[in-house]
Amino acid sequence: MEAFLQLAQESGFANLSWGNWVMFAVAGTLIYLAIVKKYEPLLLIPIGFGAILANLPLAEMGSHADGIIGLMYDQGIKTELLPPIIFLGIGVLTDFRPLLGRPLTFLLGASAQLGIFVAALGAALLLGFSFKEAACIGIIGGADGPTSIFLTSQLAPHLLGPVAVAAYSYMSLVPIIQPPIIRILTSKKERAIDMPQMIKVSKTAIILFPMVTGIIASLAIPSSAPLIGMLMFGNLLRECGVTERLRKTAGGALIDIVTIFLGLTVGATMGAAGFLTPATLKILVLGAVAFSFSTAGGVVFAKILNLFLKKKINPCIGAAGVSAVPMAARVVQKFVSDATDGKVNPLMPAMGPNVAGVIGSAVAAGVFLTLLG
Amino acid sequence: MGSMDLVYICTSAFAAVFFLLMVLAIVMRVIIVVFPQREAEADAAVLAAVATVAASIYPGTKITKVEEIK
Repeated sequence: MEAFLQLAQESGFANLSWGNWVMFAVAGTLIYLAIVKKYEPLLLIPIGFGAILANLPLAEMGSHADGIIGLMYDQGIKTELLPPIIFLGIGVLTDFRPLLGRPLTFLLGASAQLGIFVAALGAALLLGFSFKEAACIGIIGGADGPTSIFLTSQLAPHLLGPVAVAAYSYMSLVPIIQPPIIRILTSKKERAIDMPQMIKVSKTAIILFPMVTGIIASLAIPSSAPLIGMLMFGNLLRECGVTERLRKTAGGALIDIVTIFLGLTVGATMGAAGFLTPATLKILVLGAVAFSFSTAGGVVFAKILNLFLKKKINPCIGAAGVSAVPMAARVVQKFVSDATDGKVNPLMPAMGPNVAGVIGSAVAAGVFLTLLG
Repeated sequence: MGSMDLVYICTSAFAAVFFLLMVLAIVMRVIIVVFPQREAEADAAVLAAVATVAASIYPGTKITKVEEIK
């Protein structure tokens, strides 16, 4: 009987705190959103389950504990290994032709990073976060999960859980956040602008793109090289046409394996003590601010460009500059198509700023690392 | 660091992102001009079929070019 009592006292049940129960509810919500609402299921399921594991007392399954998740965290996140490998897979899966066919949309991808800097300023000046923390919160506005994890793991690792959850949650909420902002900032006439034809791009240019971009971006901002370099390497595997096996592996099994490790590990940073703080609420609010300003930045810059262009562009496609590939482009397509009764369908034009946004947010992270790291 | 430093950092960072993507846009535009897409030649079977039909209707006609317009 004594042994049984001792066993009960040393079990996780006896050591559960209210915070652990709250975190189980948070994890359950993430898993619910992933399964029922289909919000980023490939990430929210591992993140949600990682959060459950991290809140099992005495199990040593948190990212900062001595268990296997801690090992994954130390070897995969601290070393900056996993996010760049995700970028390799993204490079394989991304078709940059819509961007190359309309090089002007590079600028929309840049302008849609506005929210990163607005949120970073707000976090530091209004809510008292340190500069490094503010930069990590701001990067949520890039709508790019691996980039957020990459930057936060280096500048403010204690915020990794809330920043990653905010980044992935808002990415999945793009269909809810963006349309009202686009509606406010554009007129009916602007929404009905049909995009001019894209330039035909040769195979040579498509193969040169990852090499040129990798070299220029990495030379300009060396801190962005792990992300941009791997992204462009992945894209070269996709486009060169002679590395079919590598392309399949990087865009399939490898990215899936790394997603499992990354999701679980990030989820396991969500221990109750670190997550249930006022800072988490502030981060969630600032994440929404970052997203909204990024969307507005893209749309407003497209309108500014139209002042100088002979062939006008549909300003709604600027909203797709917030990475979140391809969801942001799909949202723009649906919004414009609904607004014009199906007459204008800018899916492919919106893919241009969408993939430019991936490059833009990675460069922004590199700039922050250079200036604050 | 003071608050003005952060304003300076954020402004410079945004400008750097903008400038870099603008450079990439210009470089890629140049590459696209230097390496234009060649017009794809019509399929040999299509060419033969068109030539045969044209020759049967207008004997002696020679087909020199078949262009596909999408």
